[in-house]
Amino acid sequence: MNKALKFPMNYFPEEVIEHIFDFIASHRDRNSISLVSKSWHKIERYSRHQVFIGNCYAISPERLIRRFPCLRSLTLKGKPHFADFNLVPHEWGGFLHPWIDALSKARVGLEELRLKRMVVSDESLELLSRSFVSFKSLVLVSCDGFTTDGLASIAANCRNLRELDLQENEIDDHRGQWLNCFPDSCTTLVSLNFACLKGEINLSALERLVARSTNLKSLKVNRAVPLDGLTRLMSCAPQLVDLGVGCYENEAEPESFASLMAAIKKCTLLRSLSGFSEVASVCLTAFYPICENLTSLNLSYAAEIQGNHLIEFVQFCKRLQLLWILDSIGDKGLEVVASSCKELQELRVFPSDPHDEEDNNTAVTEVGLVAISAGCPKLHSILYFCKQMTNEALITVAKNCPNFIRFRLCILEPNKPDHITSQSLDEGFGAIVQSCKGLRRLSVSGLLTDKVFLYIGMYAEQLEMLSIAFAGDTDKGMLYVLNGCKKLRKLEIRDSPFGNAALLADVGKYETMRSLWMSSCEVTLGGCKRLARNAPWLNVEIINENENENGRMERNEEDEREKVDRLYLYRTVVGTRKDAPPCVTIL
Amino acid sequence: MENSNSYSPYSSSSVDSTKPLPSESSVNLSLSLTFPSTSSQRETSQDWPPIKPRLRDTLKSLRLRQRGYNTALFVKVYMEGVPIGRKLDLSTFSGYESLLENLSGMFDTSVICGTRDSKHHVLTYQDKDGDWMMVGDIPWDMFLETVRRLKITRPERC
Repeated sequence: MNKALKFPMNYFPEEVIEHIFDFIASHRDRNSISLVSKSWHKIERYSRHQVFIGNCYAISPERLIRRFPCLRSLTLKGKPHFADFNLVPHEWGGFLHPWIDALSKARVGLEELRLKRMVVSDESLELLSRSFVSFKSLVLVSCDGFTTDGLASIAANCRNLRELDLQENEIDDHRGQWLNCFPDSCTTLVSLNFACLKGEINLSALERLVARSTNLKSLKVNRAVPLDGLTRLMSCAPQLVDLGVGCYENEAEPESFASLMAAIKKCTLLRSLSGFSEVASVCLTAFYPICENLTSLNLSYAAEIQGNHLIEFVQFCKRLQLLWILDSIGDKGLEVVASSCKELQELRVFPSDPHDEEDNNTAVTEVGLVAISAGCPKLHSILYFCKQMTNEALITVAKNCPNFIRFRLCILEPNKPDHITSQSLDEGFGAIVQSCKGLRRLSVSGLLTDKVFLYIGMYAEQLEMLSIAFAGDTDKGMLYVLNGCKKLRKLEIRDSPFGNAALLADVGKYETMRSLWMSSCEVTLGGCKRLARNAPWLNVEIINENENENGRMERNEEDEREKVDRLYLYRTVVGTRKDAPPCVTIL
Repeated sequence: MENSNSYSPYSSSSVDSTKPLPSESSVNLSLSLTFPSTSSQRETSQDWPPIKPRLRDTLKSLRLRQRGYNTALFVKVYMEGVPIGRKLDLSTFSGYESLLENLSGMFDTSVICGTRDSKHHVLTYQDKDGDWMMVGDIPWDMFLETVRRLKITRPERC
């Protein structure tokens, strides 16, 4: 038979195949097509513009560039997730500089860079700003190591900058002048977010920038922008879709308030609202004119706005798809959300009193969670901090919402049982994993035995990320998960009694995963050493903040039965990294 | 809440010396632990519950403000000859240098402290006794405790 009829696609010219590949955006699909044949591998390589690297130490910049020379958009993640909660020392690693250096030397046409938990220096930002002429978009999430001087380089040198999005970064604020560094010729900004900056900014520079950026859709300012400043900004940018509000004075003059409200009324395209830290309740009311249009509302920093004001506002936000809020809204407030926000897809409820220092009862309980699950049919992602939970509630939630993709429950008190029956919450979480067949991310809490992990291993077939804290009884728990969850990519465990037997049972499993984190568990130095010997393609890192160079020498002669404080292991194709600080030992 | 080790029934053998020792060690393996009595002086854990630093700081500041501790330090700043002043949160600066840089930017001129100069604007402050003093003579932390307002003087005056 004619070969061309049997394998028609092989005989298409490369440009055609490349054009077909352009429609395939997902990284996983792209990885799959590159495995089909040598020619497809080659075509895919040169046509790949977007690359996602979930662990910056899994590969080196040089190898990345060799494989994808036409790279335009790069996402890099550095520190492990638990770094967000102070469990990873600052100097652990995840440095951006080698990447920028390599990309710059290879003259890659970089246009977009997205970083999460990386250490970024002013020098790297300066090099970035000078190396890539078409650079358009910089998104930094939970990064640190830089100052506003680095931002000044970006502002001054990136002629085509469209997006500068700074989320939750630790930035040393040197001067308020980085905004001045945007040249008058810069009019291309579409998104500007500097909400996490702590210091003063030059208000008139910001106003001029906003006024000339006619394409600006998203603007999130920091606490340095007062009420009348915000009014002026919104007046020059009525086309805004996404707004992050700064700091208001506690008693706004009636005239300023009226001007603000008038400016807000003109922003008919506004769909997303956030910020509001240090903002008094009354100022939320200025946004009533547009609240019916909102699809996204993040009031998780609005610690000064009382529950009843939150409820009054949210009840009118009938089109809300995303809501992030503090638990001061209470169960009553969540019941109002359940009856008003029928389009809700993602809900996050954060604790306003994380250490139980106040004597109030306004936190949320299982009642609020059940109400939401019953009232919001489109809900698929939830993060819920609460003081108590019951199996019955979880079973009801599982029945009401079989479509959960992400389910994260954090009961503030570790090991807390069902507050009515005093039993463990195994059955409740078991119901969740059994009902939600598409569940990809799960965080468990409360009193849990090995049984919950048996359920997770049995039913959570699509699970990719699991977070465990203060749970389980024996190694069997961890083994159920490792053996059962075929799609597991990230497993992070703290303060749970899992040890060497679980760690070493199936070393090959870690090749299918991105990483494993275990802290305050039962694994020992000896166990980790054995793992490192049997799996040379893994980097097995022991983190101990008390270590210095001398400590490291002494440790080699220490008892291998010594428990490891923090273990972080991940697959890699480039072997041991060279930039580890003294507190990290790589076995 | 004390450090996370006190919650885990399995903490008895591995005690991290960087964290404060629990006052109540427990080896109870199956039941949840009872909590030590509430105390306003107890140390709160920095790694539990799992909330991000920015939220943690926001809530901490709010708590301090509610209890009467001032975390922000807003003072009025005037430029001599200009009737309308600005307000500045001194707690965001690490020292005199960053304060001067910021003021220079805010008022679009060169502001210095200490040396009298016919060219530069010199920064002065009013202390808690009501006296007008030159900025820069005392340590920064001491300055923060005593400063009430700032004034940028015209060059000739000093």
